[in-house]
Amino acid sequence: MSLAQLKDATFEQIIYEDEAPCLVIFSRKTCHVCKEIVPLLEELQPKYEGKFGFYYVDVEEDKVLLQKFSLKGVPQILFFNEGVYNGKLSGPVEEEQVEEKIEEVLNA
Amino acid sequence: MTDNYDLIIIGGGPAGLSASIYGGRARLKTLVINKGTIGGMPNTTREIVNYPGYVNISGPDLMKDFKKHAESFGVECLKDEVVNVDFSQNEKIIRTKKNKEITAKAVIIACGSEPRLLNIPGEKRLRGNGVAYCATCDAEFFEGEDVVVVGSGDQAIEEGMFITKFARKVSVVVLHDEGILDCNKVSAERALNNEKIEFIWNSTIEEIMGEDNVERVRIKNLKTGSSSELNCQGVFLFVGMIPATNFLKNSGVKMDQKGYIPVNDLMETNLEGVYSAGDNRVKYLRQVVSAAGDGATAAVAAERYIEEMNAFNTNVLQSNKKVLLTFFNALNNESLEFCTQLEETNTELSESYKIVKVDMATKKSLAQQYGIEKAPSVVVLDKGQEITRLDCYGNKVNLKAQLQVQ
Repeated sequence: MSLAQLKDATFEQIIYEDEAPCLVIFSRKTCHVCKEIVPLLEELQPKYEGKFGFYYVDVEEDKVLLQKFSLKGVPQILFFNEGVYNGKLSGPVEEEQVEEKIEEVLNA
Repeated sequence: MTDNYDLIIIGGGPAGLSASIYGGRARLKTLVINKGTIGGMPNTTREIVNYPGYVNISGPDLMKDFKKHAESFGVECLKDEVVNVDFSQNEKIIRTKKNKEITAKAVIIACGSEPRLLNIPGEKRLRGNGVAYCATCDAEFFEGEDVVVVGSGDQAIEEGMFITKFARKVSVVVLHDEGILDCNKVSAERALNNEKIEFIWNSTIEEIMGEDNVERVRIKNLKTGSSSELNCQGVFLFVGMIPATNFLKNSGVKMDQKGYIPVNDLMETNLEGVYSAGDNRVKYLRQVVSAAGDGATAAVAAERYIEEMNAFNTNVLQSNKKVLLTFFNALNNESLEFCTQLEETNTELSESYKIVKVDMATKKSLAQQYGIEKAPSVVVLDKGQEITRLDCYGNKVNLKAQLQVQ
């Protein structure tokens, strides 16, 4: 299943108002590394259904969000819980690293 | 569950896909296993201008055509990662990250290479915060800023020029003496004349510094040994590639110190039925066109090998008559004379045996399988099972006596 896209407004809602535990991948269409990582997240998503949210932001469409976190590159996976930023993973990552980080956020 | 194929190709870049086209066309049941998006290294290339038949095409588009071509020949693709192999038997076993076990008669290793890391302080920590490896992905984030590019190969120089579209200034750190770049001449000329590019010769970087984001790098001059710092907001590293052959560490496949696989003209590795094609083999030129050539060669060699193996199965292992598996050496007269004697004796016994001759020089693995060390040697097989070995050093009478007993 493909990841739900967040825009500036929905980002506020989900991250800061719902305070749900989730990850957000910042990616762009022309990035070949993103093309490897996004499907990896899509495959992982059902496993965490109802427990952990999976979202994406297209940095070309939402430059504001990019600047907000002063990101310098894609792909980057940002983790949130209770409205607080919980760190990130940059560049090419393995499935295990993402799962490890999810567990870390959930158990914090 | 185990899936069986004739030919498994590890890697879906130009070498792997070309091999699969030849495999599929030869009616081999062919599987390409590829970790991410099919296409391999060209997927990271904006522009390919030296693949014959295409004046100018993007890497991903070219690879889509390769894939379509392969699929038209019935090639299957599996998105998974090979983590472990067992090449010790005729039936080669491949295990994947998703816990699949797949077997094949022949395997072509075409897993290519991956970017080398510099392994300097700051490189890992600041990745995504100014440390980058892909200009297409990240150049735009450095609008109006100062960027350092490390390397002088095609990728470094071409990506460096792309970055100048956004950055204020691009400093290219080059190992060589002034004026010497590893890239192609057209790009070198363009880069040397680009006003936004400044070259730092005879140098490398030894540390990337900054608290949350890259703030500066320490550059070491290799001639004078002195270090200096340079302020910048981004560092793009293009310091070459390393073969992605780590998963073969305990497979018995011979590799050189860097992990490249040496092969002969047929792309054969040191293991029977295992081939290596494209960037992961020891070679002179690593381009799409040469990878495609490797793939074709490996697939044709694999096809012939599979054919021979199938022929051995039908002629020897499933023969109704008892088989005299006769090992000879074409350079050894004694063993040739013995073959003649054996043929004559068999005729006298009204062809009660089927004689299959094996040249020890070309079928080393078969000799190894039966533990044959010298020629002539004869293994007597009944329905594929060894029943005895002949004493090949007596006279014809002796030979006939041995054959009559069986």
